[in-house]
Amino acid sequence: MTKFSSNSVAISMSFLFFIFLMGCNNITIDGNDEAKVKTNLIEEYITKANDKTIAQEDRKISVNNAYNLAGGLEDSFYKRRKYGEISKIYRKLEIYSKSKSVTDEMLKIAVSIGDSIGMARAYVNYGVLYRNTVLDSAYINFNRADKIYIALENSNSSNVAEQAFDHGSVLIDLAKLTRKIKNYSESEDLTTRAIRKFELSGNLSYLPLSYSNLGIVAKEMERYDDAVFYHDKAIENAENTPKDTLYAVIGNNNIGTVYKSAKKYDKAKEYYSRALSYTNFLKKRPKRLSLLLDNLAYVNFLANKEDDSVLDLFNQAFTIRDSVNDVVGLSTNNLHLAEYYQAKGNDSLAKLYAFKVKDAAPIVNNNVELLQTYQLLTEISDSEEGLEYAKNYVKLNDSLVKEERAYVNKFARIQFESDKKTEEIAAISRENQLLIFAILGLSVLFLLGYVIFRQQQSNKELLFEQKQQQSNQEIYRLLLSQQLKLEEGRKMEQHRMSEELHDGVLGRLFGVRLSLDGINQRANDGFTESRNVFIDELKSIEKEIRLISHDLGTDTLSPDVAYVDVVESLVSDLCTVHKMEFEFANDENIDWETIDDQKKVNLFRIIQESLQNIFKHAKAKSVKISFDYVDDKINLTILDDGIGFKSSKVKRGIGLKNITSRVTQMNGVVDFISNQDAGTKVSVGIPI
Amino acid sequence: MIDDHPMIIEGYKNTLLGENQKEYQIKIDIASNCDDAYDSILKSSKTTPYDMLFVDIKLPPSSDGTITSGEDLAKHAKELLPKAKIIILTMHREDHRIHNILKNINPSGFLIKSDLTSSELLLAFNNIVSGTPYYSATVNNHFRKMMTNNFSLDEKNLKILYHLSRGVKTKNLPNYVSLSLSAIEKRKNQIKEMFSIAKADDQKLLEEARKRGFV
Repeated sequence: MTKFSSNSVAISMSFLFFIFLMGCNNITIDGNDEAKVKTNLIEEYITKANDKTIAQEDRKISVNNAYNLAGGLEDSFYKRRKYGEISKIYRKLEIYSKSKSVTDEMLKIAVSIGDSIGMARAYVNYGVLYRNTVLDSAYINFNRADKIYIALENSNSSNVAEQAFDHGSVLIDLAKLTRKIKNYSESEDLTTRAIRKFELSGNLSYLPLSYSNLGIVAKEMERYDDAVFYHDKAIENAENTPKDTLYAVIGNNNIGTVYKSAKKYDKAKEYYSRALSYTNFLKKRPKRLSLLLDNLAYVNFLANKEDDSVLDLFNQAFTIRDSVNDVVGLSTNNLHLAEYYQAKGNDSLAKLYAFKVKDAAPIVNNNVELLQTYQLLTEISDSEEGLEYAKNYVKLNDSLVKEERAYVNKFARIQFESDKKTEEIAAISRENQLLIFAILGLSVLFLLGYVIFRQQQSNKELLFEQKQQQSNQEIYRLLLSQQLKLEEGRKMEQHRMSEELHDGVLGRLFGVRLSLDGINQRANDGFTESRNVFIDELKSIEKEIRLISHDLGTDTLSPDVAYVDVVESLVSDLCTVHKMEFEFANDENIDWETIDDQKKVNLFRIIQESLQNIFKHAKAKSVKISFDYVDDKINLTILDDGIGFKSSKVKRGIGLKNITSRVTQMNGVVDFISNQDAGTKVSVGIPI
Repeated sequence: MIDDHPMIIEGYKNTLLGENQKEYQIKIDIASNCDDAYDSILKSSKTTPYDMLFVDIKLPPSSDGTITSGEDLAKHAKELLPKAKIIILTMHREDHRIHNILKNINPSGFLIKSDLTSSELLLAFNNIVSGTPYYSATVNNHFRKMMTNNFSLDEKNLKILYHLSRGVKTKNLPNYVSLSLSAIEKRKNQIKEMFSIAKADDQKLLEEARKRGFV
């Protein structure tokens, strides 16, 4: 019944599913077309927005359109990816608030669809947005992305190469951030990790950047040889790439700066000049050109403070910077000029340039230069003013150190917190694991205990059964031996009587008769005939005695009769008690002696059990019990004329169960045939 | 006269030494066990041999155990006293025993005690003295039964039938007949074939044997 219903459920389910599929297909066909149109439009708008040849305003309109269209899509990987691209475009178009809000949505989608990479990308977007302005926010976001990538690597995700590259980018951003807060060793560490990721990904486009970062860090840590080596490597790695000239310029400039810091001014001059040799490249990049010129001028100045030719170079740089309104560059230029005039002893001019630096400081935000300016001003001003500048210097320096420390601390805290978070997660999972192990262990223990308990129980049961069997056999043996002894005694007595009668009594009687007969033959007193009658009577007495003797003598009892006697006495005893008639038949061909006691006891018990059942339930008037010997099998049949039973109803009865188990123990078969009001027949067949 | 019951010997004496037996001079020696009987026979064979021996079958055996019954004694007597007439007097009337005694001893007289009256004893005595063997009615009956069957059963077969009729199980027969169980089974089948009831069970076999007078 249950099977049928479950089948029908399955059928209806599959039917429903089929309809559902049909419905789905219809929808998706419509939806596909619509979605296709939409995605095509989105792609179009994005391409347009990315096109740098188009006017800013048009690009903004395109990206807005793409954003609006993408917003109508359902949450999916595709939408998340498009949001990523849109956010990037907004950032490039310097619409940062929009970029951030799109990233917010992107993160939400990624979280809702369980897209870890999407989450990491969103964090990277935040990081990029903040990396030039809010260092700690940038750090937090890059750090989160880093953690996600680490987790993904641990879980053996499929797209290893792409992930490795993204992870490397995150790491290099983190390295730059840590360098900015002067945590150089950390930065170096992160950069080497980034390099490893890039190498793993096979995409080496960021390697020059990484090496150049390493070089800068090494320079700051005053490991100048390393710095030169790294910058060389950066140049080397950029070779044969679109950016080789850029890195050649940057690299040579950087090496020049390293040598400048190492106070190897000639070397510095050489590298700056090398950088300046890419004239075609520099023509289009006035900021870089002016920087190089300024650097070269400054190093020349440092090399020889008497050299007036440097002023011309400074001025060249200044004009270019002024023309492109490079505020930062101008500020540096001004500082260098101030130093130059200080060296020349022209304090007023030096002061003028120094003030320019000081005034530009809030815009430029280059505290190092401001610090240098304060120092310079202290040196060239008169005592009172100088003291003021010295105070400013100390104040700024303190605040700078404090800020740096704060950043370092903050970063460390962020790192620590995210570590703690992962640790917490690990701890929770550890706790969970512990819990699971504990539960598992407990259940295993419990199971083990239960199994042992059951084992013991069944062992006990077995032992008990064994004992019962043994005692059963013992009882039977006792019964049998008693019966045997009884029979033996009876037999012996019978034999003795038989012989006594035959040999003693009969012989003597015969002698007496013969004598009487003999005398009678001789006597002639007229009573011969009547005496003969008595003599004949004696003869018939003899005959009778001989018959009796014969009967007694032949009543031989073998031990196997004893078993049948035991059974019969059981049946007769029980039936007498319960006032029931019985018939008992034993097949003479059954050789009870050779049948093992176990079987005999079992048959005995089966009869006992069956009789108990009959007395209790059958309301029978008579019972027939018979042993038959057919084809090496003993068939025991117990037939009663009681009310019978419904076979299904009594299946579970202990009595029948016992009988069945006894029969199976003897490899036999048992049949309970019963019809209501037509008695019950128990047939047991046991192979010998 | 050999019998372990003095009462019986008294009966024989009374009969044989009756008044109407004046024509014979009868000298009677009595023995009540095998030892005495054998000694007497041995002694007489060297002096005056007995003319006639009355032998009971069931007798106390000799002390050395070589002679266990009247049957054995009769065998010895036949050797020692070849001229003596042997009269077997026994209480046993089972066919196989009768058959055995007839076969082994071939006595001049064979009297079954339960049949016997003093006149019959006298009749037998007179017959045997004059050279005619005498057998009791039961023995004659046995002869008749033997003759009506166109075949005869040997002693072992008869024994098998006899014990079966007593209710002994086939598998216990080796204890009674000195044959293995398989040999007994074989013989039983042979007997059944002789009775032309080849596939019958023991019950049928015994019925048939009774009908034919083997039991």
